[in-house]
Amino acid sequence: MSGSVHDPALLSVFDALIFQKTVDRFDCVGDLPSWFPPPGLSRETELAPGQLLEHSFFLQHFLHEAKAWWDSTETGQRKSGLWSEPAVFGEDVVLEATAVRHGSLRYVILQRFGPDILPIQPLLQKAREEQLSHRQAVKHHERTRAQLGSRLAKSEQERDDVMAVLDGLGLGTIMVDANREVTFVSAKARELLQTDPDRIIGRSLVEGLPWKTEDRDRVEEMRRLPGSQRQAVSVVMDGKNRSATALEVEVQNDPRDPRKTILLLKDVTEMEELRRQLVGPTQFHNLVGKCPAMRVVYERIRDIATVDVPVLIDGETGTGKELVARALHQLSPRHGHPFLPVNCAGLTDSLLGSQLFGHKRGAFTGATSDHAGFFESAEGGTLLLDEIGDMPLPIQTTLLRALQEGEIIRLGESRPRKVNVRVLAATNQHLQELVDKGAFRADLLYRIRVARLRLPPLRERREDIPLLCTAFFEKSRVAFGKMHVHGIAPETMQRFLRYSWPGNVRELQAALEYALIHCRSEIVLPTDLPPELCDVSPAVQSLPFVKPNERQRILDALTQTKGKRAQAAKLAGMSRSTFYRRLTELKIAPEESSG
Amino acid sequence: MIQKKICMLGGFAVGKTSLVRQLVSGIFSEKYLTTVGVKIDQKSLSVRGQDLLLVLWDLYGDDDFQKVRASYLQGASGYILVIDGTRKETVDVAWKLHELARKAIGPVPFAILLNKHDLVDEWVVKHPMISDLSDQACLVSMVSAKTGEGVEAAFFVLSEAILKS
Repeated sequence: MSGSVHDPALLSVFDALIFQKTVDRFDCVGDLPSWFPPPGLSRETELAPGQLLEHSFFLQHFLHEAKAWWDSTETGQRKSGLWSEPAVFGEDVVLEATAVRHGSLRYVILQRFGPDILPIQPLLQKAREEQLSHRQAVKHHERTRAQLGSRLAKSEQERDDVMAVLDGLGLGTIMVDANREVTFVSAKARELLQTDPDRIIGRSLVEGLPWKTEDRDRVEEMRRLPGSQRQAVSVVMDGKNRSATALEVEVQNDPRDPRKTILLLKDVTEMEELRRQLVGPTQFHNLVGKCPAMRVVYERIRDIATVDVPVLIDGETGTGKELVARALHQLSPRHGHPFLPVNCAGLTDSLLGSQLFGHKRGAFTGATSDHAGFFESAEGGTLLLDEIGDMPLPIQTTLLRALQEGEIIRLGESRPRKVNVRVLAATNQHLQELVDKGAFRADLLYRIRVARLRLPPLRERREDIPLLCTAFFEKSRVAFGKMHVHGIAPETMQRFLRYSWPGNVRELQAALEYALIHCRSEIVLPTDLPPELCDVSPAVQSLPFVKPNERQRILDALTQTKGKRAQAAKLAGMSRSTFYRRLTELKIAPEESSG
Repeated sequence: MIQKKICMLGGFAVGKTSLVRQLVSGIFSEKYLTTVGVKIDQKSLSVRGQDLLLVLWDLYGDDDFQKVRASYLQGASGYILVIDGTRKETVDVAWKLHELARKAIGPVPFAILLNKHDLVDEWVVKHPMISDLSDQACLVSMVSAKTGEGVEAAFFVLSEAILKS
């Protein structure tokens, strides 16, 4: 078939440029479409439809492709795909060419696609923008993840470094969250706690730590306090397979989150041991003190205790002579036998003799039965003869025999009895002076002072006063039910340190008890002290033997106790024997004091 | 004047159209406008005293939505593989299009342009990633369609190679 079959009216419906292929050219058929020539090109270039095929590189390329297709046996049509060619058609003109055939007729149809009739453009644009945006987001996410990973690695490295430093410093670290649950335990802390971290992490602070309940409670109490009021808590852990460990536990807020807490654990076992060695013993049996003089006393007690000889204990009233005697007994092989203290002052010859050596029924008026004396009662043990300087001379003679022969004779008897007793003697008097005055037997003195111990007065060991105060304070606070009193004010302690303490440790104890009884606040204030400590001047400490207000003090004590001498002696910080002697020496008549 | 057809190949949004526009008009637009179909431009160059008309076939970006038709490459004297330095996946697309071009038109000269050098701080494409490709290319150049850096020189070098081949 040849010739044209097109109907111009029909072709105009397509609004396309339609070329019909002839033997050697393409002829434009039908009406020109509405879009041709494109705006701006018609007048300037006067582009005729036929020229398109010469000017357009793309069309030339497509016609080449179309010819090959027309020569093939393929059916249907051949499309060029969309293209634009600004140099030929101007901007924003998108075209598509289609090659078709009808029998022997060959056509090329050129159609324009404007933005209004090209729905693929915005769809593709949107899809690709979304894809780009998505990839951008993924990239950003990856970059952020890489940054975070890097920061995390750095942070972990820093944490490891800090932990290594803390571990190197011997500091264990425990982290506790806002719910009081343990979230982290450092390697050093695990070592110090001697426990598996799985038993601590995730558990509450109170339950998890392998400490005594009171220690855990104290740490918990510190945790609740504001940071400025917290103090380090000392914790002692009994070792499973090793010696006990002393820990110092510091409670701190997490600087990044104050609701969280950091516990810093420091092993202070070695430091405590060194401190203990440096400070020395603060207590020896019931003796309290760590001053050099007291340490000498402790050493002498250890040396003398095991040697079964008489000992003369010399010291002012209230210095603790009986405590020394008890320590000597406890450390001696006789410690399983009786320890009997006897006060030799204020008793008549016969009464003291009867008490020491015993008597036979009818030996004197009132001796209604046989009576074993202290020597016999202390068989195998230790007898302390306190205030031996006040012992009457006849009794001294009997005592000398007992010491020399190891036997006693009860009053009213003639048969000697063997006794095995170690005699300790105590005095606050200068026995050599008494010997010189003829008031004490020299041979007895030589006999009883085979070994000697001198106790320093409190004014010579003032550094022990805080230690003594603490010991008596704790003891009396409990005894008096004054648990609300937590300590001694520094001003009060200053008074204690300045006072001359004529009654020595006994007076100190009495003064502290007096103050505790009167104390209404949480700490012992100077106003709680007994009157003699209220007007203490610094000068007093340099006058050790001056007792300017002793007479008045004794009178006050007697007045307060309504003449009861035993109670008054205690209140004045003196032993009864000293109290009686001072009454005589100061010429205080009973009626003067009883009010 | 000798005419030479050069095809611009690459993934979408790598900057093919922007490179052509920079070369032809010295213009750059930040707004991304995807190319639909083929866009044909022309650029006259004088290479070694020889006037040359480059017919630049800016082919749409190859991706899941549009695949480049091998027939568009017919008659090309050379091609340019464009890679976005900030997007690693555009290397794979370039490699695939290179394979397509080899099959369609044989071993004609080609250049690799690593575009968006103005964003070099964000680049993820490193030389080792394209070493296999670059061994065969007549030129590997870092360019910026935005600033114009290296654009004209790249076309010049490729043109020289085309004339030489």
